[in-house]
Amino acid sequence: MSETKTQKSKSLWQHAFSELTRDKLAMLCLTVVIVYAISAIASALGFIGADWAKEVGPSYAPPSGDHIFGLDIFGRSVFDKMVKGTEVAMSIGLVTALISMVIGVTLGATAGYFGGKIDEFIVWFYTTFTSIPYIMLLVAITFILGKGLVAIYLALGLTSWVGLCRLIRGEVIRHKDREYVHAAAAIGGGDFRKLFLHILPNVLHIVIINFSLQFQTAIKAEVILSFLGLGVQGRPSWGTMIDDAKLELARGVWWQLAAATLAMWIVVLSLNILGDALRDALDPKLKGK
Amino acid sequence: MKKIKIFQTLIIGLLLATVVSCTKKTASNESVLNLAVSSKVKGMDPIYSNDRYSSNEVARVYEGLLEYHYLKRPYTLKPNLADGMPTVSADGLTYTFQIKKGVMFHDDAAFTNGKGRELVAEDFVYSIKRLADPKLQGLGYWLLDGKIIGLDEWRAKYAELPKADYTDEVAGLKATGKYTLQFKLKKSFPQFLYSLAMPFTFAVAKEVVEKYGEEFLNHPVGTGPFLLPRFEQSNKITYTKNKAFREKKYPCDGSPELKAQGYMADCGKILPLTDKIVVNIIVESQPRWLNFQKGKVEYISVPKDNFEAAIPDAKNLDPKFVEKGVRLSVTPSLDVTYTAYNHDKKLFNNVKLRQAMSLAYNVEESNKLFYNNTAMPAQSVVPPGIAGHIPNYKNPYRGSGTPANIEAAKKLLAEAGYPNGEGLPEISYDCPSSTTSRQTGEFFKKQMAQIGIKINVITNPWPELQKKITNRNVDLYGIAWGADYPDAENFLQLLYGPNRSPGANGSGYNNPEFNKLFASSATMQDSPERTALYEKMYRIAAEEMPWIYGVHRQSYTVVNGWLKNYMSTDFEAGQGSYLRIDLDQKKKLLEKF
Repeated sequence: MSETKTQKSKSLWQHAFSELTRDKLAMLCLTVVIVYAISAIASALGFIGADWAKEVGPSYAPPSGDHIFGLDIFGRSVFDKMVKGTEVAMSIGLVTALISMVIGVTLGATAGYFGGKIDEFIVWFYTTFTSIPYIMLLVAITFILGKGLVAIYLALGLTSWVGLCRLIRGEVIRHKDREYVHAAAAIGGGDFRKLFLHILPNVLHIVIINFSLQFQTAIKAEVILSFLGLGVQGRPSWGTMIDDAKLELARGVWWQLAAATLAMWIVVLSLNILGDALRDALDPKLKGK
Repeated sequence: MKKIKIFQTLIIGLLLATVVSCTKKTASNESVLNLAVSSKVKGMDPIYSNDRYSSNEVARVYEGLLEYHYLKRPYTLKPNLADGMPTVSADGLTYTFQIKKGVMFHDDAAFTNGKGRELVAEDFVYSIKRLADPKLQGLGYWLLDGKIIGLDEWRAKYAELPKADYTDEVAGLKATGKYTLQFKLKKSFPQFLYSLAMPFTFAVAKEVVEKYGEEFLNHPVGTGPFLLPRFEQSNKITYTKNKAFREKKYPCDGSPELKAQGYMADCGKILPLTDKIVVNIIVESQPRWLNFQKGKVEYISVPKDNFEAAIPDAKNLDPKFVEKGVRLSVTPSLDVTYTAYNHDKKLFNNVKLRQAMSLAYNVEESNKLFYNNTAMPAQSVVPPGIAGHIPNYKNPYRGSGTPANIEAAKKLLAEAGYPNGEGLPEISYDCPSSTTSRQTGEFFKKQMAQIGIKINVITNPWPELQKKITNRNVDLYGIAWGADYPDAENFLQLLYGPNRSPGANGSGYNNPEFNKLFASSATMQDSPERTALYEKMYRIAAEEMPWIYGVHRQSYTVVNGWLKNYMSTDFEAGQGSYLRIDLDQKKKLLEKF
């Protein structure tokens, strides 16, 4: 009985979920991301990779049965460094995507919904903001905040919200004169209620897709920052591993580069595919294709 | 039609014949010295030659009063354009030089009839005033800043006026005769003579400067062994031998160890020993290395990344190079790497803490990791090869990672009041942001963790690090110092209290005893007494550990078998004229390439 009932009134989210579960590749990617997330949490709690700083063998020992990705200049396990780097990368991806989501959605929705002077001001603000070259802004923020994880969270989060803000603003403008919004107004809903309870759920799919794409952009940005020496200090990250490899390659030490690139490649690719699949599943316009 | 064809064939044939004969001639008779340098050359004006590359090029064409003796170690000055060493007044303030007679400038259109004229003392007065000319903004004035009576005033006076007047006399810089040059110093400065061996003070001719104006940079006309009619910013500079070069001979005296190595075989020969010098500018290290391997370049310092391939055991060349007749020249560089404490911080006034940290630092391991085990662990501030370094001195607070070192370090740390590092704040370590510097920082952090000291490594862009050091916003920082001239004074001044930053003493070390010794040695001429003072300071700097000493680096140069008389040196300017190519040997060896 109840089964038939749910089938009848399948919501957008349930549709999306069943769509997504049917996509094998997307499920695989989701699993990969979950595995990364679990290893990041395990490493943060000290279950794995805690001994990355320990010298376990001679300098630059090549990959072997004991050390699957070999050892670095100080004889530390490259595998452990890669795992510890996962923690950094995943936390940066998550926090950055959250920060940019909060700012982007709030400003975008406000601008789109209220329009007028508020809209003008917010649009002026983000167009001005984006005219500053992205990497310079990042460098400036890391210089002000000093170096460390928090600075990178903020630097990346504060510089990556504009795209989402634009999208949300456009969507909200499209939605705010729809019948269901007028209906909400007719039964006495205020601005807050209309915006957050009625409009926002209808544009949420954009936020989710953007979140997954932002996640991987942040991971890549962290690697670039660390490569330039502006990133994480005093703990391994994929970027610093690649920076090390720059010199090591001439003496034939390829494993550090391989480990970091592989780890990054897998998670970025997974997030990209997952993002695409989410869009396919969530975007009403693509439904049925 | 046919006639024209025959004519064409004839011309082509003739052309071919000339080309063939020309190349043949180059290969057999002319000795060409092919060099590779890693940086563009700014130009050929002595007053702008503030980097090693430009000053090496300038010194092929121009000459100075003094030069370093080619075959003497420790480095010793000898007269070049001066006729003998100067006479120094009893108070050490007046230096009187006699200039060699009959030294001719290169022929150039700037001189009457296009013939080079004789060099006179007035040329040096002119050249040194040029270095001080505020309008020209020469890059070497720091060398003489505050040293010569009246020169600073002369410089200050014309900074305001539109053009410097070279006829305006400077009391401390005068040609008292056609061949007599007199310097008067404000205060005793025994290192003064070294500045006269640096390309900044080399002699230029007034006529040439005036004729070419701004283009003078590209029109080098000196008195030196090689000619370069025009300098062009390209990747190749070709010098030809100055046929009218005065009779200057390859030295017949020198250090016994160099004699034993056969460096005196060319004794008494007229310099220069090659007909041509071709300087190839190859910025990237890998193409430079490949050119050397093909025999196109006579010598090259081994790039760090190719070190293991070339010198597998860090001592001997790989057999495949030896077969080709390549030899390895290893020479210590006059430098020191170190980790400095900021002595403004009360924490680091604790000698025992400084000693403990130094003992915990494994210098042998860092040598292995960062210098392919080729450097020499530094025992104190002065590098080997100059007076003031004590050869077999062993610093008691030098660590090499043995359990005994770590135990001793822990004991000292406890005596310092921080058993197992308890009570110590986290100490920051600032370094440049290059990969190797960051790794050095990580290594340092690891070493200190052994005795419980927590280090926070901070990487900085180079200018920011400089600023931080000058503003004393650091705890510890890693850096290196290379010699400006071969005198321990150049190193000891880094620890002289009154020299604190913005002076050269970035660490702010201030020890009254050391300061007193330094002040009294600073005005002394080179003498056993001065060396004794230097050594005393060397010992203080070792026991007090104002820095954690790193290493003295060594330069590893591979040299092709046919190049004679080459040795790597800290002061390369002028070396080109002493080098000889053994053409027969080159022919034979090249067959193996």
